[in-house]
Amino acid sequence: MSDPSSRHVVQIGPFHPLLEEPVGFSLTVEGERVVAIDARMDYIHKGLERLAQERTYDMVPILLERICGICSVTHSVCFCNAVEDLLGVEIPPRAAYIRTIIGELERLHSHLLWVGLAGHFIGYNTVFMWAWKYREPVCDAFEMLTGHRQNSALPLVGGVRRDLPVEYFPVVRKTLDELEGQTERLTAAVLDDPVLAARLKGVGVLSAEAALDYGVVGPTARASGLATDVRRDEPYAAYAELDWKVVTQDGGDVFSKAVVRLLEILESIRILRQCLDRLPAGAINLGTLHVPRGEGIGRYEAPRGEDIHYVRSNGTNMPERLKVRAPSYVNIPSFRSSCLGAPMADVMITLAACDPCYSCTERSLVLRDAAGARLLATPGLIEASRQKTFELARALGHAPDLELDPA
Amino acid sequence: MDATAIESRLREEFGARVGVAVRSAKRLYASVDAADLPEVVRWLRASLPGCRLATSTGIDLREGIGLYHHFVVNGSPLVITLKALLAKPEPHAPTLATETAAADWIEREIHDLLGVRFDGHPDERRLLKDASMAGELPLRRDFDPVQFKERIGERPEF
Repeated sequence: MSDPSSRHVVQIGPFHPLLEEPVGFSLTVEGERVVAIDARMDYIHKGLERLAQERTYDMVPILLERICGICSVTHSVCFCNAVEDLLGVEIPPRAAYIRTIIGELERLHSHLLWVGLAGHFIGYNTVFMWAWKYREPVCDAFEMLTGHRQNSALPLVGGVRRDLPVEYFPVVRKTLDELEGQTERLTAAVLDDPVLAARLKGVGVLSAEAALDYGVVGPTARASGLATDVRRDEPYAAYAELDWKVVTQDGGDVFSKAVVRLLEILESIRILRQCLDRLPAGAINLGTLHVPRGEGIGRYEAPRGEDIHYVRSNGTNMPERLKVRAPSYVNIPSFRSSCLGAPMADVMITLAACDPCYSCTERSLVLRDAAGARLLATPGLIEASRQKTFELARALGHAPDLELDPA
Repeated sequence: MDATAIESRLREEFGARVGVAVRSAKRLYASVDAADLPEVVRWLRASLPGCRLATSTGIDLREGIGLYHHFVVNGSPLVITLKALLAKPEPHAPTLATETAAADWIEREIHDLLGVRFDGHPDERRLLKDASMAGELPLRRDFDPVQFKERIGERPEF
C-alpha cells in the first residue's frame, strides 16, 4: 500500500458540510491512509490586530468580543488580563466573580456545542440533538445576565462595565440544576456506548510528547495527559478562591477529548454555583485608568484552551501593539501528528476533536463598519443574495422564472 | 523554578549574552541576540519540563523589528519572553520551527505580516494574508490601508 504512485490528494474545504467555517485541508492519501496533511488558512483574515491599534483601551474589549462567535468573553477578558498585568493592578472581588460567571457560562455552551457537533460528525445525530437542546437554556441564562446570548460587552480594563441582575440568579441556578442531570445522563450514555467506544477510542491519538512539541492547550492537551489549565496555573478572576479540579485523561484520542469536555461541563456547573452563592458586594471596576508605557501579557483559559495576549503601550490611550493568540492556532497544527497514518474516515472527527475555531485562528472580523462600509441587515442580505442568484441565472442563460425582476 | 531562579540560571549559563529583566514573579523578559535564539530555546526546553512556545509577537519599532518569543511552562504562572531586535530593512532571524513544531505557523504569520525572514524555515508559504496582499506588509508602520485599497481597486460589494 505504500506505493507513492498510488497517492491522491483529497481536498476538504474551504466550504464543506462538516466545517462551520472556511478552511482548506489537503489530505494526501495512499489508498485509505493519510500520509500528509496541509491546511490553508487565508480565507477570513481581516487584520484585527491592526484594528485594535486604532481603538482606545475602552473600545478594544468590545472589538475583541467579535474575534470569535463563541469565545467572546475569552478574548475581551484576556486583553483585560494583559493590560492589568501591565498596570500591576488587582480588580475588585465582585468584578472577578462576575468575570468568572460569564466565562464559565461561555465554557458550558461552548463545550455543549462541541459535543453536539462531534456527534453530528460521526453521524450520531441523537447526541447532536440532545447537546444542542441542553445548550439553549445556557445561552438564555447568559442573555438574562448580560443582555445578549454571546457578546456581553461586560469586560473592561479594571473590572466589568455593568453589574449582574441578581434577581435572575434563581433562574440561572435552576438552569444549572437541570443541566447537571442532563449532562450526567449524556456522559453516562457516551461512556457506556459500545458504538461510540469503537468509533472514537484509539482514533486520532496525540501523544504527550507531540502535544508539548506542538504546544497544544486546553482539552486537547489535557486529553493527552498534560495537566495544564490557566485557571489553576495562573489563577485570574476568582478561580483561586473556588473549589474545582482540572480534568485530565491519558488516552490522547478523540474519546478522551470527549470525556474531558463532558466532565469539564460538570466542573463548570460546580464553579458557577459557588460564584452565584458567594458573589461579594462592592465596586465592579476601578474607574478610569491611565495606561503608562510598558508591556503586559495576559492569559485566559478559553473553552478550547489557553488564550494569550501581548499588549504594548506607548503611553497613549490606544495600544501600540496587540498580539492575539487563540487556542485553536496551536491546536490545529497538531493534526499533522494526530492524523498521519489514520484512515480517511477517521480524519474528520480527529480534525473536529480539538474544537477548531478558524475565526479565532485568523482573528477575523465580521463587522464591516470600521472602514465606513455599510452594515447590512437581514432584508439587505436577502436582497443581495437574490440579486446574486439572478446574475448567475442570467450568466448561465437558464431558469426564466428567475428572470423576473425581484423588485 | 520561579522567575528569580531562572534569572540566575540564565545568567550562569549565558553570561552577558542575555539581558534579563524580572518584572514580577510571573513575568520574565530576556533580551537575546537573534543568532543565540536557538541555543537559548534549546536550553529553556531542556531545563524546564513542560516548557512550550505559546506564541511569538512581531512588532515594528523605530530601531528595527522586535521579535518576541513567549514561552510558557505548563503548570506554572511563568511566562518567559525572549526578545530579539532584528535590523531593518531586511530583518531575519534563525527559525525555531526546527526546534519545536509550535513555531511553524507563527513564524509564517510574522513573515506574512512584517516581512521577517526565518532562516532555515522548512515551509515559507503564505499563511494568513489574502493573495491580494502578497506584496504588502500590513503590520509595518508605513503600510497605508487607504493607499492599498486604491492600488488594488475597491472590491465590488457583491
